[in-house]
Amino acid sequence: MTTLAKPRLRFSLDTVSNYAVIIAFAVVVVIFSLTADGFLTGSNLMNLISNKVVLLAIIALGMTIVIGAGGIDLSVGVSIDLSSMIFIMMIAAGYAGFFAIMGGLAAAFCVGLANAILINKLKINPFLATLGVLFIGQSIQRLSTQGGVPIYLTRAEYAAPFDAIARTNLAGVPAPIIVMILCIIAVYLALHRSVFGRYVAALGAQAEVARYSGIRVAFNLSVVFIACAVLSGITGILLSSTVRSYVPFAGDAFLLDAIGATFIGTAISAERRPSVIGTLLGVLLLAVMRNGLLLIGWNFFWQQVGIGVLVFLVLGLSFGLKKRSE
Amino acid sequence: MTAAIEMRGITKTFGPVKALTDATLVVQPGTIHGLIGANGAGKSTIIKILAGIYARTSGTVTVMGKEMGVITPATIEAEGVHFIHQDRLLVPTATVAEAIFLRNEPRFGPFISYRQMNRQASELLRQYFDMELDPRTLISDLSTAQQKIVQITRALANKAKVLVLDEPTAALVKKEVDNLFVVLRRLKAEGRAIVFISHYMAEIEEICDVVTVLRNGSDVGVVTPADVGIAKIVEMMTNRDASEMYPRREPVIGKPALSVRNLTVAGAFQDVSFDLYEGEILGITGLLGSGDKDLLKALFGQVTPDSGEIMLNGKTVHFRTPVQAVRNGVAKIPEDRRAHGVATGLSVGENISLASLDQMSSRGFVQRDAEARNVDALIAELGIKTPGRHTLVKNLSGGNQQKVVVAKWLSCNSQVYLLDEPTVAVDVGAKVEIYNLMNRLALEGKALIFLSSDLEEITEMCDRTLVIYRGEIIAEYQRGEIDANRLLAVASGAALNQKETA
Ligand SMILES: Nc1ncnc2c1ncn2[C@@H]1O[C@H](COP(=O)(O)OP(=O)(O)OP(=O)(O)O)[C@@H](O)[C@H]1O
Ligand SMILES: [Mg+2]
Repeated sequence: MTTLAKPRLRFSLDTVSNYAVIIAFAVVVVIFSLTADGFLTGSNLMNLISNKVVLLAIIALGMTIVIGAGGIDLSVGVSIDLSSMIFIMMIAAGYAGFFAIMGGLAAAFCVGLANAILINKLKINPFLATLGVLFIGQSIQRLSTQGGVPIYLTRAEYAAPFDAIARTNLAGVPAPIIVMILCIIAVYLALHRSVFGRYVAALGAQAEVARYSGIRVAFNLSVVFIACAVLSGITGILLSSTVRSYVPFAGDAFLLDAIGATFIGTAISAERRPSVIGTLLGVLLLAVMRNGLLLIGWNFFWQQVGIGVLVFLVLGLSFGLKKRSE
Repeated sequence: MTAAIEMRGITKTFGPVKALTDATLVVQPGTIHGLIGANGAGKSTIIKILAGIYARTSGTVTVMGKEMGVITPATIEAEGVHFIHQDRLLVPTATVAEAIFLRNEPRFGPFISYRQMNRQASELLRQYFDMELDPRTLISDLSTAQQKIVQITRALANKAKVLVLDEPTAALVKKEVDNLFVVLRRLKAEGRAIVFISHYMAEIEEICDVVTVLRNGSDVGVVTPADVGIAKIVEMMTNRDASEMYPRREPVIGKPALSVRNLTVAGAFQDVSFDLYEGEILGITGLLGSGDKDLLKALFGQVTPDSGEIMLNGKTVHFRTPVQAVRNGVAKIPEDRRAHGVATGLSVGENISLASLDQMSSRGFVQRDAEARNVDALIAELGIKTPGRHTLVKNLSGGNQQKVVVAKWLSCNSQVYLLDEPTVAVDVGAKVEIYNLMNRLALEGKALIFLSSDLEEITEMCDRTLVIYRGEIIAEYQRGEIDANRLLAVASGAALNQKETA
């Protein structure tokens, strides 16, 4: 006969602390299903995913890599906007959709490269380096749009490339969702299965130890920041291809949610590290909260309050219990 | 007489890990009380419970007759109990004087009097350790040994009634250890109680009046070293025979692996030349600040030499960064484990494979089975005490963290190994494991440079020993030509003139 130790209180505390995000997500979904009319409808969920989740998820994946490596990227908005701006300008100039997309991604790549150079060559810390790039990027947008005038391409003469993108789908799944899934798979493999992912974790935990272990710190950090910028660039193109316009500074709105989702996501790993799964849960939680609160009639400011309280609850539950059980 | 410290029935669990089980520690005033046990026995844990860093799961703590409820670092310091922890570092951006007088700064009205503070700090360092150190030096610029001395000085400045030292002599050279012992004896004569943790049995024998032996989280005996002898104590703590301390090896020396010619780093060492052969263990020894550490740094690309040449297998190399050194087959076990050796936020497995992922991956993806096999083999081989390879390194005891560093470099198949104090904080049993591994590497044709402040280790393990004094190599000995005591004399420069005339 085997004697199994009774699960003790500590065990269950640990469990609660590790699954706080999942529990919170489940609770939030249940509450909104009961209280918010139209929350559990197909059209609302589809709208939620393709408009809120996709864009935030891709940016947050980039942020997960950067924060995982011990950095921060305040310039994701610039990558989004510049990529979107170049993309729209090139379409307006008559380029084919493919080249416009490449142009947009190239712009985002340059933002990442600028960050990498500032951080590696000039040894500026990531917070300040990306903050500087954020300021410069905003100015570039102002200068190239007469102080921030949006570019709308809603007239019929521009419709062809957008229609082509909008028609693209795989077995009925629209292109943006496919793109998101591909990004998730790619980042998951990179962070959790590849050698690069280990180096990222080492940089995040203790960069000096990484250096002494023969890891090329500068090279890997460059990849990290460029990857984040390019992922943001992809978002910029998805964003502007659905609204068929470029609105200056539209990308800045994603910054805090991306950082928030990443940190909320750290609560699901026992080591409290950023992870792809955790970040996605964080994204879903934030998106569902926003959507649900909107449906039950809270305005934007009260939504912010609600989300703030939720973040405290989740992280407090998770980290507080973790501390307690030590 | 009331005991200075009385800890009874102490139990501490970390999740599923039971670090202490019903442990007892009773320390009388006016004694130096040794606390010994293998890596992971629970020494640091019981100390941290006393210090209020960990909350005990159960048990009672009495300090000078006063029963302590919940302990915090502030309440215990108020009772006059001071600690030099194994892994609590000083604030790296503070100056020496600021660190010594932290929370006890000499004041002028509401302001800190820096002039007075600096002067007093210099005085204390000179008075106790005979050390000339600019009190405005930043902590981050000090060596490990100097940081320890600053920590001890802080406790002295606070007039501690009870002083607890968790492995204070790790990485200290003999002269500093002697100074420390003079200080400890003085404190003892003044009626203070001292708890002293060390893996060096000779030190225990020399300084301790009584010893509590911990094994697997419980106290297995309180003995007087003078009565029972060290061999018996080692047996109590490890359950093994201590006679085979230094394993023998028949050296097979090959061709030169590393050649150094006229190497100079201004301000550290000058005109250093030597060869290191395949299959050789070469000891380098010198006093604190003699340039031995800087030499290793230059060989590992941490500092760029001002002149001279380094050749690897006959080819000149210029390492500008440790990365280049590692990629050319040079590995280094750094002295400062916490800053450079292990990433405490990563797991045991991630740390061990960090430097050798290239060998355990294909097309950029980690082969997790191969990695797990390799890691588990090394954990078993070195006897790393951990619940598994997924445990975070920060949850391991100090000595076991050191073994993780060693395991990391063993797994990466380098050609030249630079070992800077590899056995620091490692228990007697594990030291033998590390010696065995060094021997095995040498027999595989690797070339090893071995730095240690434990001179017996040097004379027993090395085929050849270079003595560096004030940045110059002043002597070279083959195995068996010199014993630890004479080596110390030579390294201190005392025997310099004799040697030259001989
Ligand atoms: N924070 C922690 N979380 C989980 N386990 C821990 C933690 N701290 C210590 N342990 C475990 O408790 C045991 C005792 O550790 P402790 O640090 O007291 O050993 P030690 O006797 O000081 O060893 P060493 O000589 O290596 O310093 C070890 O098995 C260690 O892995
Ligand atoms: Mg310890």
